[in-house]
Amino acid sequence: MSGEQLFQILVFPGMLFILVWAVFVFWFFRKLIALFHKRVGPHYNGYMGSMQTLYDFAKILTKESITPKGINPYLFSTIPILAPLLAITPVAFIPWSGVGSEIVHTEYGVLALIVFVGVEPFLLFLTGFGSNNKYSILGGIRILTQTVSMETPFFLSALAPALLFGTMNVSEIVSETTLLTSIVLFPSFILFFISVLGVLEQPPFNIPDAEQEIVYGFYTEYSGTNYLLLKIAEFSEFLVVFAMAGVLFFGGTECFFFDSFFCLLLKMLILAVLMIGIRATTPRLRVSQMLNFSWSYLLPLTLLNLAFILFAKIYIFGGVQ
Amino acid sequence: MIEDFREYKKNWLVGKVESSELLEVVKKVKEEYRTLITISPTDFLERIELNYFFTDLESKKSLWLKTDISRENSKIESISHIFGGANWHEREAFSTFGVDFIGHPNLKHIIISSDFYGKAPFRKDFDIEAHQKEVEKHSLDIASNFEDEFSENSDTETTLNWGPTHPASGPLRLKVGVDGEEIKKVSADIGFVWRALENLIERKDFVGAITAVERICFMDNTNSMLCYAMAVEEIAGVKPTPFAEVFRVILGEVGRVSSHFMGIGGFFGTMGLHTLQMWAMDSREYFLDFLEDYSGARIATASIEAGGVRFPLNLETLNTLEKAIEYYESKRDEFHSIFLKNPMMKKRASQIGIISADEVHEFSMAGVVARASGVETDIRKDEPYSAYEKFDFKVVTKNGGSAKNRFEVIFEEIDESVKILKQAVSDIRSGVSEGTYNLEKDHLVKVPKKLPKGEAVSRVEWARGELMMHLVTEEKGKTPYRLKIKAPSFNHTMMVEKLLEGCTISDIPIVFGSMYICQGDLDR
Repeated sequence: MSGEQLFQILVFPGMLFILVWAVFVFWFFRKLIALFHKRVGPHYNGYMGSMQTLYDFAKILTKESITPKGINPYLFSTIPILAPLLAITPVAFIPWSGVGSEIVHTEYGVLALIVFVGVEPFLLFLTGFGSNNKYSILGGIRILTQTVSMETPFFLSALAPALLFGTMNVSEIVSETTLLTSIVLFPSFILFFISVLGVLEQPPFNIPDAEQEIVYGFYTEYSGTNYLLLKIAEFSEFLVVFAMAGVLFFGGTECFFFDSFFCLLLKMLILAVLMIGIRATTPRLRVSQMLNFSWSYLLPLTLLNLAFILFAKIYIFGGVQ
Repeated sequence: MIEDFREYKKNWLVGKVESSELLEVVKKVKEEYRTLITISPTDFLERIELNYFFTDLESKKSLWLKTDISRENSKIESISHIFGGANWHEREAFSTFGVDFIGHPNLKHIIISSDFYGKAPFRKDFDIEAHQKEVEKHSLDIASNFEDEFSENSDTETTLNWGPTHPASGPLRLKVGVDGEEIKKVSADIGFVWRALENLIERKDFVGAITAVERICFMDNTNSMLCYAMAVEEIAGVKPTPFAEVFRVILGEVGRVSSHFMGIGGFFGTMGLHTLQMWAMDSREYFLDFLEDYSGARIATASIEAGGVRFPLNLETLNTLEKAIEYYESKRDEFHSIFLKNPMMKKRASQIGIISADEVHEFSMAGVVARASGVETDIRKDEPYSAYEKFDFKVVTKNGGSAKNRFEVIFEEIDESVKILKQAVSDIRSGVSEGTYNLEKDHLVKVPKKLPKGEAVSRVEWARGELMMHLVTEEKGKTPYRLKIKAPSFNHTMMVEKLLEGCTISDIPIVFGSMYICQGDLDR
C-alpha cells in the first residue's frame, strides 16, 4: 500500500474528511433550521456555536451503549459498524478533485454508487428487526415499504445521465457535462432529489423514524457509540448523495470559471440548503400517501423522463455515435 | 316528577328529582336538552347529592337536576346509554366518590389508578392513613395487575402503548391495539397528572383557591380563574366594577390567544414540522410580556380574583399589549400563506378525525371542536359574562369537522380575539379619559372572607371549550365546601378513542393534536 493510498483512505476523501463533513453538516443543518425557525441555534461553543457538534459527539461517546435483553447482540451491534462502512464506500467512486481523480477507476461508477446507496436502508431495516421493540419493528417495516417503493425511481433517475452520455464512467460524465446537458438533465435531477429524500428517510418522507408516531423508529433502542455510528452513517449518506447529484447532473468539480473541489462542495451545500428548506416547511406524509405518491406519480414520471432523455439524445445531441 | 322546579338564572332551570325516577326524567330531558355537561357529586356526610347539568347547544337552554342518594349504599341508574357523553363522567364520579352506576357498560376507575383500593378519595371522611394500610394489604394484587396490564399481545393484535413517555403524547396513555399499521381498538388511560385540584381547593380559603384553579392548565389560565371568581361572586352577591369587567375580558382574551398559539403550533408539531411552533411561540412571547407587565408573572399570573382583578392598572401596560397585537398582525399573513394553505397539511388532515354535528351533541364536545363541526356554540355569546356583550366579534364555525377544520377554527379565533382586545383597549382608554374608570381604585371590590351557604354554577368559554364550575359553600364557610370543575378535554379524550378506530398509526398524533387536549384539564 503506497503512501498516497493511505492518505486517501485516512484523510481525503476517506475517514477524516467524512468525519469533518459530518461535524460540519450537523452544525450547518442546525444553524440553518434555526434560521428558518426564527431561533438562534447553537450559540455558545466556538464561533457561532461551531464546536457544539464536536462536544455533542464527545458526549454521546461517553454514554453507555445499552444492548437490550432478549435480542441477538451480534446482530444488534454489528450493524452500527457495517452501516457507516457501507455508507462511506461509495466515496471511492466519486471524482473529488477533477476528472479522473476517483480512487477506484471503473467503467461502472454510476452503478456502484446506486448499489451502495440503495443497499443502506436494508441494513437499517435489520436494526429495527434486531431491537425487539414494537416501535423499532414498526420502523423496520416502514423502511422496507419505503425503500421498495422509492428505490426504483431512485436508480431510474440516477441512470438518466448514463443514458444521455452513453457511459457509466463517472469521470467521463463529468468531463462531458455542459450547460446544455445540465438543463436537459434538470428534470432528472428533481426526480432524483425527491427519491433521495425517500431513500434517506428525510422529510417529508421521514416516515420510518417519525418521532410523533413511532418514537424514533429503528433508532429507538440505540444509544451511545452505536447511535453515533448510525448517525455518522446517515451523514456520510448525505455526503455521497449530494456529491452524486453534483457529479451526475451538474458537472461535479467543473464550474464556469475554475475547476476545484470547492465547486463540488458549493453544489453540495446548495443541495443541503434545499433539503433543509423542505424540512422546515413540509409536514410528514402518511405511509399510504407515500406509497401512492411513489407508485402512481414518481415512478411513471421517471419513466417518462427516460423517454425524454432518449428523445433529447437523438434530436439535440445527434443520436448515438 | 321534578320537585321545586324554578328558574335559576337566565336560560337556566333547576329542579330536584327522586333518585328512583331519575332515569325516566332524563329520558324526557333528552328531548329538549341534547347534551350532558357533567355530573357533579357532593358529599354532605349524611347523603350524597348528585347534580346533573344538561344543556342544548342549539337553543342555548340549560337544566340542572339534583338527586339524593344514600351514602352507604350509593347506587343509581346509569344514564350513559341515553347521553353518550355521560360515560366518562359517571366513571369519574365512581372513582372519586364511589357512586355505583347500575348498568354502566364499563364502570372502571378513571383518573385515579385502576388498582385503587379503599375509600373513594374525594369523600369527606377519606383518611390517608387508612388508605395507605389498604394499599399495603393489596400490594400483591397491585403487582399482578400491573403485569397483566403490560403484557397483552394476542396473535393478531399488538398492544402499542402510545404514552405516557412517548415524544408526542404528553402524560397520558393510549392503549392502541394494532395489526400492522392499522388500529383496531384504542382505550385511553388518563390520570398521570392528577393533582386532585377539586379536593385541594377544599383545603384553601376562597382567595388561595385561585392559585389552584389557574393550574388546571397553564396554557389558558386566566379564563379558569375568571370562572371561579364568577362563582364566588354569585354566592357572595358581589358585582365587580365595569372597569374590572372590561379588564377581565382583556386578560381572558390574552389567555385565549396565548393558548391558541400553542394549539396551532402543536398541531403542526404532530406532523413533524416545528416551524409554526417556533413562530407561534415567538408571537406568544409578546402577549406574555403584557401579562408580566401587569401581574409580574408570565404564566401563573393569579391576576383575577373574586370581586375584580388583583392589581390596579397602569395605562402604559396597555402599550405592551398593543405592541404584541401589532407584532402578530405583521406576521399573520406569513402564518396564513405558509401554514393554513399548506397543501401537505390539507392532504393529511382533511380526511381524518371527522366529528359530525350529532356527535358533538351526543358526546358533549365543546369549544373549538364543536365549532369546527358546524355547531355554533360559544359561551361568550350564549350566556354573556363579564363585558363580552359590549364587544363585537363573531363565532367562527366550519362545516366538516375534520382535523383540518379544527386547526382553521383555532387560527381564525386568534383574529377574533385580537379584534376583542383592540375594542377593549380603546374602551379602557376612552373610559379613563371620560373619567368613568378609575384605574387605581376600581379594580377590586371587597368580597367577605366568609361566604353564606349557597350553590353556584358558572361557565366561561375557555380556550379549549366550555369550562364549568359548580361551587358549594357552607354557612359562614371560609373554604369552598365542594368545587366541581368540568373541563372540555375530558370529553374530547373520550372522543379520541372513537375517532381513531380504523385509522392508521400515522393518524394518532394528528387526530390527538387536533382535539386540542391539555392533560392538565384532562386530569385536574
